[in-house]
This record gives sequence, structure tokens and C-alpha cells, in this order.
Amino acid sequence: MQGQANRFLSWLRQPGVLNAVPASLFLLIGFAGPLLMVFGYSFMPPKTFSLFQEPTLANYSSVVSDSYYISFFWSLTLAAATVVILFFICYPIAYGMAKVFGKWANLITVLIAVPLLISENIRLFGWVLVLLKNGILDGSLQAVFGFSASGMLYTVPAIVFGLVYVYLPFMLFPLVIGISMIPDTLKEAASDLGASRWEVFREVELPLAMPGIMIGGILTFILSLGSLAESKILGGQTVVMIADDIESAFTFAQNWPKGSVLSVLLIALSGTIVILLFRRIDLDRIIGRR
Amino acid sequence: MFNNKISRRNFLQQTGVWAAAAAAGSMLPNIAHAARDKELNIYCWEGYNSDDVLDPFRREFDAKVRAEGLTSDPDAVNRLRAGETKVWDLINVNNPWAREMMYPEGLIRPISRERFEPMMKKMMPQFHPPYEWAMDKDKKELLGMTQRFGPFSFVVNTDKISRGMAEDQGFKLFLDPAMKGKYGLLTYDNWNIYHMCIAADIHPFKKHSKEEMAKFGEVAKQIFNGAKNLTDDLVQMNLALINGEIDAYMTGGTYTASPARFDGQNNIRGITPKSGPMDGKGGIVWIELTSVVNNPDPSPLADEFLAYVQRPDVSKKVAFAEGTYNPVTQMGSEDVLASFSKEELDAIQWDSLEEEMANSVDYDINPDYAEMYDLYSAAKREREG
Repeated sequence: MQGQANRFLSWLRQPGVLNAVPASLFLLIGFAGPLLMVFGYSFMPPKTFSLFQEPTLANYSSVVSDSYYISFFWSLTLAAATVVILFFICYPIAYGMAKVFGKWANLITVLIAVPLLISENIRLFGWVLVLLKNGILDGSLQAVFGFSASGMLYTVPAIVFGLVYVYLPFMLFPLVIGISMIPDTLKEAASDLGASRWEVFREVELPLAMPGIMIGGILTFILSLGSLAESKILGGQTVVMIADDIESAFTFAQNWPKGSVLSVLLIALSGTIVILLFRRIDLDRIIGRR
Repeated sequence: MFNNKISRRNFLQQTGVWAAAAAAGSMLPNIAHAARDKELNIYCWEGYNSDDVLDPFRREFDAKVRAEGLTSDPDAVNRLRAGETKVWDLINVNNPWAREMMYPEGLIRPISRERFEPMMKKMMPQFHPPYEWAMDKDKKELLGMTQRFGPFSFVVNTDKISRGMAEDQGFKLFLDPAMKGKYGLLTYDNWNIYHMCIAADIHPFKKHSKEEMAKFGEVAKQIFNGAKNLTDDLVQMNLALINGEIDAYMTGGTYTASPARFDGQNNIRGITPKSGPMDGKGGIVWIELTSVVNNPDPSPLADEFLAYVQRPDVSKKVAFAEGTYNPVTQMGSEDVLASFSKEELDAIQWDSLEEEMANSVDYDINPDYAEMYDLYSAAKREREG
């Protein structure tokens, strides 16, 4: 017993452990604490505001029997579509930035990063003005070419467009890092040994860039899964995302426990996906420790 | 301990001492008490947090005033329930909350009838004391002061749908098959539920039978399925109405139409139905009530601010603060009314206000709100866009 206590104390006295104490405490209070409260609330009786009551599973069963699966379905589908589209848009740009553009890559980085300084809602509202009936795009097309392009706003493609637009940097920059990790010598060696361009891409480039692709994919997937503004502003809520249901439950419905259940389910879902995917990548290698 | 040389060891020691002192300080609320004489925290709908309203008060009372805008009544009441009565001194929400929820739950405290009732006598006649929504259920205590109010039903573009036709049809307009895909739904969820009740010929503020609940569910589905767009942003909704994406939107009134009207778009108009299921009436009116929060460490400036906003020049500023423009109860006094220009009166539809008020009932609590909310949110999720 004494030995164990001593071992614990000497473990505690290590510089690494000591240095980690403030950050760990901060995370425990600021990050884990609220999550635990949400978890606790999910077991409280519906439409109550106290954490100290007899736990119940009533909220879970009502969420399962209600039509919330529709919101989960849309959030998952739109998030997956966003990731796939972003990959195809960003890969060529990232390749150019890492291997081709040289010093111009810095300018492109700035151009893509600057809009991040402006609130997402304002940028999306800018697109409303563009896509609105008789708006900038529709009005210009009517004036110049005589045909109308109305009906683009308040649709599912408009939501996907918004997601792709807002989350583009979160896919692009990890891809740039991923692709810049591919040594050109390996590609040359593959070509010398008779590989075609497609084979070089599939057998050498893609596997070596995979950590960047995974990180970009996970980031954009999780962000899109929890997104709300795109479906509200560009989509006119033509579909309801799960984040919208959570917000409504906490506000207009005055049902904190139900909002908590939906949050717990969303966290569990995204957590599972991240854990499964992170098993396949090696973070240490990406940040260059090995 | 206070020498200037900081070594690694005494830095850690000092940090520890200061941290302990800070922790001890936070446990002594009395120390902070004196400091609150010059401090006021206001939680309000946008307008009261405008610097036009707050700056003169700050100067006159040499006060540090912090104001935060709220985005929904239930949200605001939630925050008081969650312990923010320690933070706020004044709360400004719509009429039913004070009497029905906040006062019974101990979240707000009464104000002096002696001081404030004379000010109420200068308001428009229907708000004179004893005014129902400003009193507690026993009609003994005064729970707050009214100021902004407005009819709240729906909004049309009068170039597409005439005012007369909209007033005659009322909320049935949104059930007309010809309107499918031509209207928006401004998602102020609680208001949507009341308006959908009226569309279903149900009184929203009474206990409902099983048949009525079923009918409400059907109407909710029909209205969601026929809506072109849903948003909780009134600017975006007005824009869609002006640009012709839609011809009307459900849930709206002077509050939402006034910014567009003040911008010269007089074809955007709030409509109050001529008749409906609420003892013959078809519209609803909201009245804001500003109450003093039951803060354990109250600021004496809370009462002063309540009196300050009753002044004629300040009333006008509150009516025409940022964002939305609204009539104020103080327009019952001649000098306040005279300070409004013709354009300003036109923006708040002063010409029809009396008639619209007469065709409306006061915003109230819906006893079946929770069950109706489940039907409403299901209809929204299952919407066939």
C-alpha cells in the first residue's frame, strides 16, 4: 500500500505530469464538466430544469419513437455529401499549392483564409442576396441573357453549397499538409519502374496523402454534422438538421432533457466515427515526430 | 512577499496566495455590495440595448450599464431559472411571462405602485392602472411597466394580396391551395403554434379537446408542407417578400414589417384578421413588460431606469431604436405622439393600429403548449419540401 502511494507520488512529481495539471484541470472544468451535465440532464424527467431528480429513460424512448431519425438522416447525408464534394474540389487545389504554384501558394492561402475572419452568418447572407429571386445572379441573367435562374434558394443543393463554401478551408489545409509530405523521389522511382500516371496516383500519392485526407474529412464531417446556419439561411429549413432540433428543444420547447438526449446521441455518433477513423491514421507521423 | 524580485519559487508562492485570496473574496458577496450602486445590467429585446437609449442614462446617473439583447422569451426566462437572477437587474419580455411564470417562480420582484402608477396614467387608455398584465394574480402587486406593443398575425405584400382580402380571409389564406409555395413561415415557434391554432379555428389560449389537438396537427402539417421557406430572421423574410420569392408570411406584424416600411416599402404590411375563433377575434397583440429581477444583490438603478424610459424623448427613442420599430404605450400622451414624423407613423401602421388592436386578443399562455409543440416540431421535421 505504502509502496503504491510512493509510486503514485513519484509519478505525480514528473515534470510532464506537473506541467499537464493546469491544462487538465481547465479541460476537466471547462470541457468535460458541461458534457457531463448534458449527459446527466438526459436522464432527468421531461420538461424539468433540475439535475437532482430520479433518473429516467423516458427522454430516450420518446426520441427513438418520434421522427428524429429524419433529422439525423439529413445531417449525416449532407455531412457525407459535403466531405465527398470537398475532397474532389480541394485535392487539385491542394496539389497545386503543395507542388506547383511555388510562392503563389502563399497568396492563395491568404485569399482562402481571409473570409474566415468574417462571421459565417454574414457570408451566408451575402449568398442569399446573390441567389435570391430577382437578386444579383437572377437579376443579372435576366438583364443580360433574358432568362431567369430563380428557385435556387431554399433547396437542399443550396444547403450543400453553403456547407461546401463555409468548410472549404478545413478540408484544403490538411490536404496541403498531407500532399506536401509525399516525397517527389518516390513518385519518380515509381515512374522509372514503369507505373502509369494513374498507378502513381493510386499506389503512391493517395496512400501517402491519406493522413491529411482523413483529418480534412473528419474535420469537415464533424463540423457539417453539427451545422445549423446553412440549412437555416440558404436552405430556408427545407430540411431540419439535428442541431436545429437540439436548439428548439432547449429554447421554444422548454425541454432541456430532450435537448440533452439529442446532444448525447449526436456526440456519441460523431465520437464513434472519429474513433473508428483515427485508428487508421498516425498523428505522430503527421506532426513529424517520427 | 511583496519584494520586486521574482524568482521561480516566490512566483509560485505568490500565485498561490493571490489565488487563495481571490477564492476567499468570491465567497464574500457583501464586499461587492457597495459597488452595485452605480451598476445596472439589463436583459431585453433589442432596442433597450441601443446606445441612443443607454448613453444619456449612463451620463445622468454616472452608471455602468450593461445590456444584452435577447432572442426569445423562453430563452430569457431559462437563463433566469439557471441562476442568472444574480446577474441581471431588469428583464424585458412579453406580457404573460411576468404574471404567470416569473413572479410565481420568484424570479422577479414587485415595484412601487405609488411611484409608477401615476406614470401609467399617461399611457394609452387601455394600459391605465390597474393593467391586468402588469399585476400579479391577486391584483395586489405591480410587476413591471409596459412600453412597446404591437399586433402580431401575418404580413403580406399588398401588390400581390390586397389588405382587404387578407383581413377577410385571415389565417385561412395559408390553407388556400393556390397559396402553396407562395408563403414563408417566420419560425418564432411559440407564435407559429398560436397562429396555426387560429387557422384551425381553435382558440389558442384555452384547454383543448382531443379533436382540436388532432385538427391542430393536421393544419400544422399542411402549413409546413405548403411553405416556400422557413427562417427565424425577419430581415431575410422581408427580403423574400420584397423580391417576390413569396407573397406573404405567417407570423409577423408591425414588429417585423416596420423596418421594410420605414425603408420605403409601403407594400409590405402587417395584417390583423377581421374575425376568428377567439371570441370572434382573429388577431393577437403582444405587450412588452419590463420587470425588476429578484437579484440577491439588487441595483438601486433598476427603478430609476424604469422611470427614465417613461420620459417622452426616451419613449420615442425606444419606439424607434435599432432593428424594428414599434408603437409605445406612452403615445397616449400628446407630446410623445407629436414627436413622430408622418413617415415614422406610417412605418408602424398608426393609421390602422386602433382597429387592429380592437380585432386582437392579448398574447397569453397556451395550456397545451407542450403537446402542441411536439406536433409542431414533428410536422416541421416531416415536412415534404
